[in-house]
Amino acid sequence: MPNITFVTADGKRQTVEATAENVMEVAQEHGIPGIDGDCGGVCSCSTCHVKVDEPWVGRLPPAEDLESDTLSFADDVCHCSRLSCQIPVTEELDGLVVHVPPPA
Amino acid sequence: MTQIPDPFKEAKEKGPVLAAEFDGETIPMILKLKDVRAAAKDWETYSSDAPRRVPIPAEENVRTVRQYPLEVDPPEHTAYRKLVEPFFQRPKQPDVKAKIEALIGRLLSDALNRESIDIIHDFAIPLQSHALTYLLNVDEKEAELWISWGIHVFKDGDGESKGPFMEQYSERMFREAEANPGDDFFSVLNAAEVDGRKLTMQEKLGYANIAFAGGRDTIIHTATRIIHYFAQNPKALHCVREHPQMVNTAAEEFFRMFIPLTHLGRVCPHATDVHGHRVEAGGRVSLCWSSANRDPDVFEEPNEVKLDRKPNPHISFGFGVHNCLGAHHARAIMRGLITQLGERVSHIEIQESRELVENEAAYDRMVGYELLTARFTGLPSA
Ligand code: HEM
Ligand code: FES
Repeated sequence: MPNITFVTADGKRQTVEATAENVMEVAQEHGIPGIDGDCGGVCSCSTCHVKVDEPWVGRLPPAEDLESDTLSFADDVCHCSRLSCQIPVTEELDGLVVHVPPPA
Repeated sequence: MTQIPDPFKEAKEKGPVLAAEFDGETIPMILKLKDVRAAAKDWETYSSDAPRRVPIPAEENVRTVRQYPLEVDPPEHTAYRKLVEPFFQRPKQPDVKAKIEALIGRLLSDALNRESIDIIHDFAIPLQSHALTYLLNVDEKEAELWISWGIHVFKDGDGESKGPFMEQYSERMFREAEANPGDDFFSVLNAAEVDGRKLTMQEKLGYANIAFAGGRDTIIHTATRIIHYFAQNPKALHCVREHPQMVNTAAEEFFRMFIPLTHLGRVCPHATDVHGHRVEAGGRVSLCWSSANRDPDVFEEPNEVKLDRKPNPHISFGFGVHNCLGAHHARAIMRGLITQLGERVSHIEIQESRELVENEAAYDRMVGYELLTARFTGLPSA
């Protein structure tokens, strides 16, 4: 099972074992604040926005067009921004660090 | 597989915009998902600063007030929206969610006990009205009066708009809350400030207006169409019973397909070229959510209901700064409804139905039902 670390807006780091299908669901299962996942992971709402740690940007499967378009809905988007519901959990994700943006 | 026709299918094949006439005004309707999203984000070109003219046709004859925060642009919009945001977040609280679920449970028990139920008047309208009391944090008995306002406050029923009643009622509620403040929607708005001043009565009425009118037919039609869909597709009901975790994707697919709100308008402050159509300064354009939701460049088999559709980047709740404040509420209600129908109902038999169709010069679009009666049969264990 890969381990994923969430860094919340208050600077707190929480490393959890990822058993769910995608990173948004992992966050929800562990009650990580700031990843709301309103649409349940269908790429419609952008409330699962995270910023992946710089070294991981090129290591994740790239965002598809749809994801980038939905992402443009979120505040404060940068080149590290992803919709966590569109990052499937795989063994390769072991050690992934994602930052949860502060509330708008 | 159920196909649900898209009235904008042919127009989309011809081009990105349909120039449509509404009461003598030609309004280019933006039809493609990417274009609607881009326009919704670009509030400087496509402005919401247009009291009573964001809806198409305009609502100048049915209400007197500007709706807040719908009909305001940034930067003012931000402060107006913040004032009411905590109420619209309430449906995410476990206690409020539990009340919504209990309400659906009561309405379903009642439906299961009858030979025939009027889905609109004895299920969907009470569902919408009672649930709104939880959102606004007011006494549940207020729902009884709201129920009498029909499906659509401004259009419904006996041909008489209930808009003026609703405005008078809201004003009375603000005055009563002033005399007897609590932590309800009316009291909180009485105390609220923008730019260091209290809200005017017109502004407060503008907030109440959209909460009552905008959050009404949308919920009623979506709930009614979900019930109708499960009546016509017993396998789908079986499927959500067997796979309860499908509730989220199923709800989003229903929001995509059954969006009751065909489109909304924006005003161009300057002359604007909208994909080849010139709009003069002060003219309107339409953001056609319902057409964008069926864009074949984005959605595979766009006119088919797929309860496990994923991704499903629909824009039933809009896009950008004005995205629907009522979305948490709508999601809590429809997810609860789908789950409980799966758990308790074996099948639904439609008795009588009459579709409600929006007839415009350029298109006819089915938005819901004006009549729907049915018989619910329970599962042996329910
Ligand atoms: C299935 C149900 C619903 C649908 C499809 C829907 C659709 C929409 C859409 C498309 C917008 C965007 C408006 C724009 O960009 O101009 C919107 C905004 C809004 N909706 Fe909903 N809505 C629903 C339910 C509700 C409910 C239940 C309420 C209230 C109880 C509500 C209150 C609002 C408000 C206040 C706004 C304005 C937000 C702003 O301007 O910042 N809606 N809705
Ligand atoms: S949860 Fe809605 S876009 Fe990811």
